[in-house]
Amino acid sequence: MKIRGILLPSTLLAAIIFITLPFGSATEFSFRDGGKTKHSLAAYRWILAQEDFLHYLGVSLRLALGAVFITLLIMVPTVAWLHLRAQKYRPLMEFLTLLPLVVPVVALSIGAQSALPEALQSNEYELSFMYVILAMPYTYRALDIGMSAIPLKTITEAARGLGASWIKAITFVIAPVIRNAVVASLFLTLALSLGEFTLTSLLHWDTFPTWVTSVSQQNIIGAIALSVFSLAAAFLFLFAIGLLTMRSKSDLPEGQE
Amino acid sequence: MSSATLEINGISRRFGDVVALNKLEIKIEPGELVALLGPSGCGKTTALRIVAGLESTDSGSVLLRGADITKVSANHRNMGMVFQAYSLFPNLNAQENVAFGLQMRKVAKGNRLAKAGELLELVGLNTQSKRFPHQLSGGQQQRVALARALAVEPDVLLLDEPLSALDAQVRANLREEIRRLQLSLGTTTLFVTHDQEEAMSISDRVGVMNHGRLEQIASPDTLYNKPATTFVASFVGLMNRLPGILTNGKVEVLGQNLSALSSDLANGQVKALVRPERINVTQDQSTPNARVITRSFLGASSRIICEMHDGTIVQSLMTSHGSGMLNPGETVKLEIADLEVLIAHE
Repeated sequence: MKIRGILLPSTLLAAIIFITLPFGSATEFSFRDGGKTKHSLAAYRWILAQEDFLHYLGVSLRLALGAVFITLLIMVPTVAWLHLRAQKYRPLMEFLTLLPLVVPVVALSIGAQSALPEALQSNEYELSFMYVILAMPYTYRALDIGMSAIPLKTITEAARGLGASWIKAITFVIAPVIRNAVVASLFLTLALSLGEFTLTSLLHWDTFPTWVTSVSQQNIIGAIALSVFSLAAAFLFLFAIGLLTMRSKSDLPEGQE
Repeated sequence: MSSATLEINGISRRFGDVVALNKLEIKIEPGELVALLGPSGCGKTTALRIVAGLESTDSGSVLLRGADITKVSANHRNMGMVFQAYSLFPNLNAQENVAFGLQMRKVAKGNRLAKAGELLELVGLNTQSKRFPHQLSGGQQQRVALARALAVEPDVLLLDEPLSALDAQVRANLREEIRRLQLSLGTTTLFVTHDQEEAMSISDRVGVMNHGRLEQIASPDTLYNKPATTFVASFVGLMNRLPGILTNGKVEVLGQNLSALSSDLANGQVKALVRPERINVTQDQSTPNARVITRSFLGASSRIICEMHDGTIVQSLMTSHGSGMLNPGETVKLEIADLEVLIAHE
């Protein structure tokens, strides 16, 4: 008991240091202005002065939202269907969703690209599909765990038995119940899409991360400031989504005070 | 509430090589409560799910008020179902759960919430109406599920082992409550359970199922006292299997010559099936045929376990008052109080 009493706070402290120290150091470094003691917003002003900054941020956001849309359209119904009607295929799905971690990105990018329709192969939105594949190991697990935590099949059957059509069962019962899992999976897709570099670079597209890499050659402090900005934006996203998924009074279904 | 006739006509269902249902035939009269009883895997839940529209059939039909509903989807059948697992919608409170079916039927908000309130009062949970499922006990959740199923005024109420996850006391109370509600509302009810006490205590008729077939459907009393098959005899209640010799419709057992109820067995060694309460144990020292092993006091009655000379163990159920002198080790005489016995293969 005594060891556990010490181990838990020490591990927690180590984890906090591990996460905050690099971020804190990078933040401090991004405010430096020509020396160790002089600090200013110069690097951030430099970011805003870059005419490509907003363009590439917009490209990445657009592609990330495309990936989120595809995840919502394909992954969520697929995992829900596995839980409702095809439980026996879950181990197979577990295996398939691990493949993006195992297959080298070079092979994945070429293979996945050639599997896409020709019209998409020359369109930057092919990256949205690629991001969905890359995020699959995480999104599938987030959805699977979320749906395993509730008796999805029983409550769906209960809703159907009470007169709900499939659409109403999904709208009134399934969607609200799995909302947290869906939001978590969408956030993972968004975060991965916004920060993806290797595959984007291999397919010769330019997005925010590839632009950050190229401008970092010109201004190292500016590049660090960009990284700090990206990380802070991602944390803000997480925080905003966390707020959205919290059950608030105004959020409750009708008839409930 | 509406009462409807439900007919299950020759329904069969296979899952791969497993025959879940084999030409099942049941007719439930309006307002009747019929329980389907049987061991795990006998097909009783499959039958219920087919009636609910949650499972398809390979052949046969389901008729409601004489109309074929076999192909009607679950949401158009107007049935109320209470599941074995807790099935309340976790995002809705008790009142909204009960009102859900009415919402699907486009009943105005005020009316449906008022109706939900009435139903919750009926199951004794009107003070818990704003609570969410995770704030309710298992028994309360099943009460809400019952209210939810009844709120839509179903043609048939389907109960799929709704008490199996509850502790003994809650279970006993809730089953009486189910019966009280069912009688007062007159809803035709199909109740699936593997607990014979549950089935026998609240049903008008009990259907015993085995390997996808209905072995017998009858009143609890008939089922217990006049089982149609050896499976029913051994599945429902306790049964002694005593060695006997069958000769032309007569069976000699415990030195008595009794009429055999099963006529299709060949002469020779058989087992006579006798209920413990039909075995008399007396202290007759002149012609003893057994020895008392244990006597368990059960309150008004006592269970006497005896061993016959050939090693057969016999159970008897007697009034505690009459069994006071039967101590372990004592030699006794066992007698069957019936003139007819059901017999089975050796």
